[in-house]
Amino acid sequence: MTTAVGNSFIRPDAEPKVRGEAVYGVDFEIGGTLHAALVRSNVASGRIRSIDSDAASAMPGVRLVATAADAPKILSGLALNDQPLFASEVVRFEGEPIAAVVADTLVQARAAAAAVVVDIDPLPVVATVDDGVADGAPLVHEDWASYQVAPGHPDWPRYGNVCSEVVVDEAGVDEAFAAADVIVEDEFRADRQYQAYLEPKSATGMWESGRYTVHASHQYHWSIRNRTSAALGVKPSDVRVIGHYMGGGFGAKLDVGLEPYAALLARLTGFPVKMINERSEDMITCNSRDGGVIRVRSGLSKDGKIVAREYLVDMDAGAYAGDTVYLTSIPVYVADGPYATGPTRVRARAVYTNTTPTGAFRGVSGTYLYFALERHTDNLANAVGMDRRAFRLRNVLEDGHEMLNGQVLDDSGLLKEVFEAVDELAPWETLGKGPNQGVGIAATVWLTNPLPGSATLRLEPDGTLIVVTGAAEIGTGAVVLGVRQIAAQELGMDPANVTTTMPDTDVQGFDGGAQGSRTTHIVGRAVTEAAVGMRERVFQQAAKLLGAAPDELELRDDGVGVSGDPGRRVTLGEVAGAAMFDGGPITSSGSYGTPAIKYDPDRATGLLFSTFPTPTYHVHVAEVEVDPDTGGVTVLRYLVAQEVGKTISPAGLMGQIQGGVAQGLGYALWETIQIGDDGKYRQRTLESYRLPIALDVPRVEVVVLEHPVDTGPYGAKGAAEPPIVPVAAVIGNAIADATGGPITRIPITPEDVLDALKHEKGTR
Amino acid sequence: MNLSLTVNGAAVTVEADGADTLLMVLRDRLRLTGTKEGCTEGECGACTVLVDGVPVDSCILAAHSAAGSEVQTVEGLADRGGALSPIQQAFIDNFSVQCGFCTPGFLMTLTALIAEDPTPEEEWVKAAVSGNLCRCTGYTTIVDAVMAATGQEVAR
Ligand code: FES
Ligand code: FES
Repeated sequence: MTTAVGNSFIRPDAEPKVRGEAVYGVDFEIGGTLHAALVRSNVASGRIRSIDSDAASAMPGVRLVATAADAPKILSGLALNDQPLFASEVVRFEGEPIAAVVADTLVQARAAAAAVVVDIDPLPVVATVDDGVADGAPLVHEDWASYQVAPGHPDWPRYGNVCSEVVVDEAGVDEAFAAADVIVEDEFRADRQYQAYLEPKSATGMWESGRYTVHASHQYHWSIRNRTSAALGVKPSDVRVIGHYMGGGFGAKLDVGLEPYAALLARLTGFPVKMINERSEDMITCNSRDGGVIRVRSGLSKDGKIVAREYLVDMDAGAYAGDTVYLTSIPVYVADGPYATGPTRVRARAVYTNTTPTGAFRGVSGTYLYFALERHTDNLANAVGMDRRAFRLRNVLEDGHEMLNGQVLDDSGLLKEVFEAVDELAPWETLGKGPNQGVGIAATVWLTNPLPGSATLRLEPDGTLIVVTGAAEIGTGAVVLGVRQIAAQELGMDPANVTTTMPDTDVQGFDGGAQGSRTTHIVGRAVTEAAVGMRERVFQQAAKLLGAAPDELELRDDGVGVSGDPGRRVTLGEVAGAAMFDGGPITSSGSYGTPAIKYDPDRATGLLFSTFPTPTYHVHVAEVEVDPDTGGVTVLRYLVAQEVGKTISPAGLMGQIQGGVAQGLGYALWETIQIGDDGKYRQRTLESYRLPIALDVPRVEVVVLEHPVDTGPYGAKGAAEPPIVPVAAVIGNAIADATGGPITRIPITPEDVLDALKHEKGTR
Repeated sequence: MNLSLTVNGAAVTVEADGADTLLMVLRDRLRLTGTKEGCTEGECGACTVLVDGVPVDSCILAAHSAAGSEVQTVEGLADRGGALSPIQQAFIDNFSVQCGFCTPGFLMTLTALIAEDPTPEEEWVKAAVSGNLCRCTGYTTIVDAVMAATGQEVAR
């Protein structure tokens, strides 16, 4: 039999999806449902003078207009409690909710929401991070000092418009710069990127006997539970969250969106309330990838060793802190990244601005932090006249690399193997040689999210296995391929006989959400823990049925057999059936979270992500051609070498690599949200927000390396998030090579390419 | 105002006012929620259905302009016995479905393409779906599915 782990099996959720039967969050609706729409601020900064809902309340179908007066007076947030449900005195970003209208139909709710008149006195706008950290900048939050951190967090350095600051300052940085032969200094900038999942955000709230139920299509149901309960001032267990099929999230559906509003409005009206964002509303209010400014300086020795580094990052938090309080930790892990650097100084700040709060998008700030790091690495190689790949190999990590947090990476020497592996796909010297062509290379060290998860296995008398887990299947296949195949392998079953569940926070144990490539690694491992107990029970029961000792038995083709005796076998269904009246149904549970990792808490201040768990290693290479007339860029070849520990589903892994690279190409070349001086987004629809289409994306060539890790199921580490991380870096380096000019911004526009072409070769 | 049309082979008459789109009629009146609404701007292609065999963005098509037409949605792709169409089966076999929210729209566009050109070239497939966005897959497996469904060699 084909082993369940390491082979490609059909996704069980593909058929309902191709038939149009799958019920997504936007499709879910139960009897008696009312519909709601939010009234949102049309300015980025101002003081609310009045809210007039008389006309709206009189419109057909309208049941309720709710404002801050109808909501608990609570500020809440992911890590910092700085955000109200509805603005009542000041508005801090365009799109901030001010009121909500509930009506019989969605069309009525939206029409009435548009008829609510909000009078706002404009206030000065902090539009950019540069504005936010300028001397005398207006404060986005006058009361920042009074804000409490969310439960379970130590406070961290924050001041004025800086809602989070992380600092690492190793001994001897200035001395190392003074002793360096060459110093190179660069500045890079990145725009925001919209996740642009195809299913807009939605939620349905219900209120029954003092408890809220929220129907969601979301990445992290336990986060909705916590965040909704905190916003509404109830216990987490007073909120039940039930998951449905979801049309993509990519990080944007990790924090709450419409869920607390739908829940509140259900309580206020006594009916289920459903909300769906319109696309433009979704885009303008989405917690997109933050833009940032990165200033990086390195000292080099003549022979091409990096001897000193300074890495300064300002990230745009938007109007509320959200995820960025965590994301300021990422520069600490990227500042040296794949290379040994000598004494290093890092300062990362998240800055409040009067813009939509930013948040997580696959690869988070790593995408632009690596763009800056690897563009800079090219400049370092050029400064000492070395080949860019050779320079990297000269400085690449060895085993036992100590990160800036004091954590030691046992396996960091793998990076060198990954560099060699990508070269086997196409030798570096052969690429980018044609006219107007260039080649780029970049490496990445990325993590596997450590948050815990759990699974309960149920063996059924019909011979099937149900994996009851709160892990969310967001489309990657992490649950329906990864977790399911691991469960099948553990019980010697055909994956076709294994099913997985949808999240329901009343039913399953905590799950840390579909983020940071954690699901296959963490929940897969929880399944292997659960399987230990299940096998024990199965063998005991089967031993009775077969008249053999448990230690003579083995799992075989969805059954249990006596080792070395092909004739003596019972099916797992028979075992489960017999157990039913001999001890009860066969179930077994397991939990897992990455064990605590050793690090030195004195190395950094403000570091909320204190360690970098279960690292993975990546090298990407791209060959591009630029059009000297239009500045257009064609990606001719794209190569990926990725260390995954162990592949569970080859097809699932390839889907994540191809899809992640496509998102990275969009980020590198086309997708942008620009922000005007008024704090408003310039791109407001999918027409102006240019997403990659089929014609843009080459077939990615992949080599997978497998060095199993003890902690992962079958050795698997995280794999799905990182394929996006180095893409902008690689493309930037390839375009710089093709044009000979500096490439310093994401996205790299045709104008940037044409400007770069005006530079003389060698000044890049 | 009454609107009569044929949907997946069945004659239907529904109430629809002048501002209603075909998508609203399909999803809200006929409860055919297999057709997805991704943008309501004619940009994403998730709402693609066939009107008299031609792929259209149903989110920006006035419902009444489909009066008397044959409309086919994703729910109408399988045959009466429930057997999947070749392109549906190929999407399953080639891992062309991740989140699946774009899938119904792609299936409709590609059903029309294959009806017109039974053995389309890769570049032509990519061009044909330039009005359909997929954020998950990076598109190659979708192209693979068309190759497989039309009996051509799959590049992978
Ligand atoms: S919903 Fe019709 S094109 Fe997007
Ligand atoms: S599979 Fe998710 S958008 Fe295409």
